[in-house]
Amino acid sequence: MPQDRSLFYEFKKGLWQDIPPFRLLLGLCPALAVSNSAINGLSMGLATLFVLFTSNMVVSLIRRTISAKVRIPAYVVVIATLVTVTDIFLAAVFPAISKALGPYIPLIVANCIILGRAEAFAQKNPLLPTAMDTLGIGLGFTMSLTLMGVIREVLGFGSVFGVKLLGSWFEPWIVMILPAGAFLVLGALVALVGWISSRKAAREAAAAEPASH
Amino acid sequence: MDQKTTTNTPESATGRPEAREAAVAEAPAAAAKLIVSTSPHFMAEESIPKIMHTVVMALMPAAAASVYFFGWRALFLIIVCVASCLATEYAFQRIRRKPIKIHDGSAVITGMLLAMTLPAGFPVYGAVLGSVFAIGAGKELFGGLGYNIFNPALLGRAFLMATYPVLTTTWVEPRTVEKAVDAVTAATPIALWKFEGSMDFNLLDMFLGNTAGSLGETSALAIIIGGLYLRYKGYINWKLPLGYLGAIAAFSAIFWLANPAKYPNPLFHLFAGGAMLGAWFMVTDMVTSPTTSLGQWIFVIAAGLMAVVIRIFGGLPEGVMYSILFMNAFVPLLNKHTRPRVFGAVKAGKG
Amino acid sequence: MNGVTKMLLNLIIIGALSGAVLSGVFTAADPMIKANKEQELREAVFYVLPEARDFVKVEKTVGQEKLVVYKGINENGEPVGMAFKADGNGFQANIGLMVGLDLDYLKLKGIEVLDQLETPGLGDRIRDESFKDQFKGLEVKPRIEYIKFRKPEKPNQIQAITGATISSEAVIKNINRAVEKVVANFPREEMMKVVDGHRPAQAVEGQDAAR
Repeated sequence: MPQDRSLFYEFKKGLWQDIPPFRLLLGLCPALAVSNSAINGLSMGLATLFVLFTSNMVVSLIRRTISAKVRIPAYVVVIATLVTVTDIFLAAVFPAISKALGPYIPLIVANCIILGRAEAFAQKNPLLPTAMDTLGIGLGFTMSLTLMGVIREVLGFGSVFGVKLLGSWFEPWIVMILPAGAFLVLGALVALVGWISSRKAAREAAAAEPASH
Repeated sequence: MDQKTTTNTPESATGRPEAREAAVAEAPAAAAKLIVSTSPHFMAEESIPKIMHTVVMALMPAAAASVYFFGWRALFLIIVCVASCLATEYAFQRIRRKPIKIHDGSAVITGMLLAMTLPAGFPVYGAVLGSVFAIGAGKELFGGLGYNIFNPALLGRAFLMATYPVLTTTWVEPRTVEKAVDAVTAATPIALWKFEGSMDFNLLDMFLGNTAGSLGETSALAIIIGGLYLRYKGYINWKLPLGYLGAIAAFSAIFWLANPAKYPNPLFHLFAGGAMLGAWFMVTDMVTSPTTSLGQWIFVIAAGLMAVVIRIFGGLPEGVMYSILFMNAFVPLLNKHTRPRVFGAVKAGKG
Repeated sequence: MNGVTKMLLNLIIIGALSGAVLSGVFTAADPMIKANKEQELREAVFYVLPEARDFVKVEKTVGQEKLVVYKGINENGEPVGMAFKADGNGFQANIGLMVGLDLDYLKLKGIEVLDQLETPGLGDRIRDESFKDQFKGLEVKPRIEYIKFRKPEKPNQIQAITGATISSEAVIKNINRAVEKVVANFPREEMMKVVDGHRPAQAVEGQDAAR
């Protein structure tokens, strides 16, 4: 059970082994919808990371006091509150980002990673492992969205974080900024991550059995 | 899965068991009457390069017409597309450690068809990109020839349409037409009608190919010659191309009869845009069209209806590409639900 | 404590805490959000009415509809034009525009795109300067029209964006509709009045000095 694992493992697993959109195939809606530029991917990832981290800390704190029968409504209230706080904060301090992400910030409340981690991890673990777990998963999610945003922005606009990267010789691939581009990039990355892991697994298997063949 | 091992022709279109069973059912009849229907003839190992080379021959008139109307640039684009398609197929088969089968000619056809759908001024890098996507994502990722759901050339074209929406719709006048002085870009007859309400078109020019448009789409005459050659060789049945064109004509006639001042006549719809090329070379694609007679009828009528609906009501001027791609997605379903009930009972397919 | 009481207490406490947090955050952020909106509005009005140094909001209720125009004024309080929003369907979603109309009620002074979700790279080129600039000095009578592939020939024509006719047309439709409404409901005499005393003079001057 999770208690046997090291804190570093809890952190690390979200970055590759359980990286949400590519390995767990969770949080696909924001990954598809707001990864059309690097800054959108990064800000969506960070907003989700914030909600994931804070809500799961609260869940971990109240895990012994909350009655098992009402835990889901209680978690949903906690998550919804923190999502609303994030939404208001962005509208007040970063109006441009708030406008670009539009309804997807409120929709973090429906991101299954958050309730998923609360159910699977935070409600059974003390604060420190929970912090490590959510930071890892949240960072993995942020990295994934930023990576998708970078790929789509480079190909679709020829820029990264708004900085022109490719010269005027480059004719942008409009499809990359369209929803279709999100599916193409996500599919390619899922395939790539799967391919790398299966090769790694094959190498490890070969190393474990050097005498075979 | 083990069904696959029973045949030693990996290129056969037998990835879907239902297609294979239908193939077994129809093959004797087809052989006896020298009528080759869709997918079944993939059973015979030798026939693939032969069929493909015949299709390439059938595309020659349209290719020649494109060179005549748009100059050597047209030939150059065709060569670029064919070469990129072959290279992509080679690269994928090499990486996947599969037997190299680029000589079967299917990639050549994809390259030629893709080039036919591009405007003459289309940049080379775009043509290469479209070819890589057509073969890579359209065919090899599905498992190679016979396993692809969508027509690879049309998929490449759809990708380019979404990637370079301006370049794919920036037409040049054929060199046989005197250029208007202030016109930077030309418009196809269908775009003129759709966006400017112009009913001023010359059907003879459209039939011959003397209009702005994609390389191989403008000349209905050249395409029909190629199509008739394919038919003469027995590689397509009448149902698919004529059914598709008939559906387009019938549905557009309804609008034309209702309001001839606003909607052009059915002949316009047949000669405009990609209708002819789509009907003879893309609807008839053996891998991505239904195998059963009823399925083929549903396929062509629905696709024809969609093409007309997109042309008349859609945001885009041309609907042929999306109509065929959309119906491609239904082919497995059509094959499954229109399959003859008893496999043993051979029912001669009518041409 | 029995089960039901515990459940109730759990939910009540969580609900109360959530309400407290939210009202606190909202109270702190609301002035900033309002200021952001005001800032956005000011920028848009000054963009479409470049001579304006300030503006006055004029509201009218016509039937069920509330019409709002922003009357742009210069340093001396003299009106320089009217700005108003023009919303309507685009290719995919609403296109929100700010339109600047000259006081002759014939020519536009400029437009700005506030909200749009048009296709990136195609329809969203309605935000390009080259497209928006076409509306400067454009005549709105009898109505704005578009032309394709060629340079405009008439004073009430613009050239549609190649490959984005629908978005270009939507912009024009929105403007035509909004202009029609404003012209019908805000008589010219009323708008020509010099505005004084609506805003403290030094605020206007201060802004002027800052430029």
